[in-house]
Amino acid sequence: MPILEVNNLTKTFKNSPIIKGISFDMAEGEILGILGPNGAGKTTTLQMLLGILTPTSGSINIFGKDIATHKSDILESVNFSSTYVDMPWRLSVKENLTWSSWLYQIPDRSRRLKQVMELFRLEKLWNMPVASLSAGQKTRVNLARSMVNYPRLLLLDEPTASLDPEVASYMREFFAKQRETFNKSIILTSHNMAEVEELCDRVLILKDGLIFDIDTPANLAKKIEDCFLNLRITKNMSKLDELLRRRKLTSNTTDGVTRIELKEKILPLFLYELTKQNIQYSEISIDKPNLEDYFMKVAKEK
Amino acid sequence: MKMHRLWGLFLRYYYNLLRSYDRLTDMFFWPVVDLLMWGLTSQYLVKTGALDNTVILALLGGIMLWIFPWRGQYEITVSLLEDLWNRNLVNLFATPVKFMEWVVTLLLIGVFKAIVSFGFASIVAILLYQTNIYTLGIKLLPWAGLLIVFGWVFGLLVAGIIMRYGTKIQTLAWTAIHLVSPFIGVYYSIDTLPSWAQTVSRFVPASYVFEAMRSEIGGVAVPLNNLLFPFVLCVIYLALALWILTRSYLHILKRGLISVE
Repeated sequence: MPILEVNNLTKTFKNSPIIKGISFDMAEGEILGILGPNGAGKTTTLQMLLGILTPTSGSINIFGKDIATHKSDILESVNFSSTYVDMPWRLSVKENLTWSSWLYQIPDRSRRLKQVMELFRLEKLWNMPVASLSAGQKTRVNLARSMVNYPRLLLLDEPTASLDPEVASYMREFFAKQRETFNKSIILTSHNMAEVEELCDRVLILKDGLIFDIDTPANLAKKIEDCFLNLRITKNMSKLDELLRRRKLTSNTTDGVTRIELKEKILPLFLYELTKQNIQYSEISIDKPNLEDYFMKVAKEK
Repeated sequence: MKMHRLWGLFLRYYYNLLRSYDRLTDMFFWPVVDLLMWGLTSQYLVKTGALDNTVILALLGGIMLWIFPWRGQYEITVSLLEDLWNRNLVNLFATPVKFMEWVVTLLLIGVFKAIVSFGFASIVAILLYQTNIYTLGIKLLPWAGLLIVFGWVFGLLVAGIIMRYGTKIQTLAWTAIHLVSPFIGVYYSIDTLPSWAQTVSRFVPASYVFEAMRSEIGGVAVPLNNLLFPFVLCVIYLALALWILTRSYLHILKRGLISVE
């Protein structure tokens, strides 16, 4: 049974449709990425999943219950972290996590707070007011707060946006481990494609309020047919130019390396032709398409 | 309504109070300033023979009782503003917290602070002017109760307006209840007002309390059932204010809590 079912969800602001009828579901223990250009409706979707934005139509079922009628029950086992949300800045980290923890039924509150403090390396920040923290430290505190109630479903809006690379990597490992150990389900939005590729089982691409695609990161990347062949030519450059003209391929040369854009499926044949025409090279590399390439293609498409 | 959630919300505002010297001091500062100013003025007038001693108690009693509607309103609206300034509404409502739990917490925080402010002001009045408001007896309790509910009415109403229109009208949070204060007669008898204003006063529940206080100080007992009509009015106003606030909340849910600022 899916942990989350979204059916024909729409949201219209002042007669302007932002979400135009999206449906998707999510299994327990799955990590689902939501990607999309700015204004595609990612944050709007997350807000509706949290019950802090009323959909114009459609339904959201989490743990088999409708968020419209069982919001309080559902949110006992859901939590979120967002760069768009601050915490009371005069309060210390400890105070913020303490009051937040009381909003949930947590059997071992003190132990859990200590655990979260250690997991997110907050020992030195514990008694500091939130106002005095850096953006990255605030993000860590926000993430710590989101874990306080042992959530079954975690919604993360740009979770590593302001973290330094070392902490961001630690957080990615942390979330992967949470899923592995506790079968937690995670929805995340991010502009870091490598992060999405590394963490997510599936990626939902939103564009203009509609689901453009939903698949595994690898399958999405495969939908890009073009790849790049990089060659450092040592002999018969003119023959290569002739070959490129004949095959109508585009290329550019920088620092002696010629970068050729071609369909992945013709790559073996192209390499064969290079050999046949005695075009020699001292270096070769192939850039295969990844999720970022797919995303860029989607973003550019009208 | 879950107790642990009310406690969590209470902690949020309590911690904020401890960390905010401005919020902490305004519980004590303004009542003392008012007491000093009006106390000294009335002492001067007594000395000149223009007024008698009971006027001091009437004026200072008015100042002290005014703490209840003022704090009742102020706590609701300023607490909402702090959540807006801190972009904290999402932290509250993307949790199991129910809207009514949040409202109840704000109401109770208002009661808590009003009691502390009133207690402090009453001690200051005894120490500075040998004026003991507690001589008015047990009637202080229903009076205080009615006044704080009246403060809640304004608090909820203004919170509803701020939620809907944002912090651009935040001045209302500090000033709203003062708009109606001329009709309440905190420092003067309602019959000093022009007749049209007296008519308005009849529909302002707090005015009955201050009139009753002055009567009691003047030696004329006022039976408690005289407060029945203003109490019923208060309940009607409270229901109306709650309805308006709830409508505003549902309205901003359509826009998204993140967008409220």
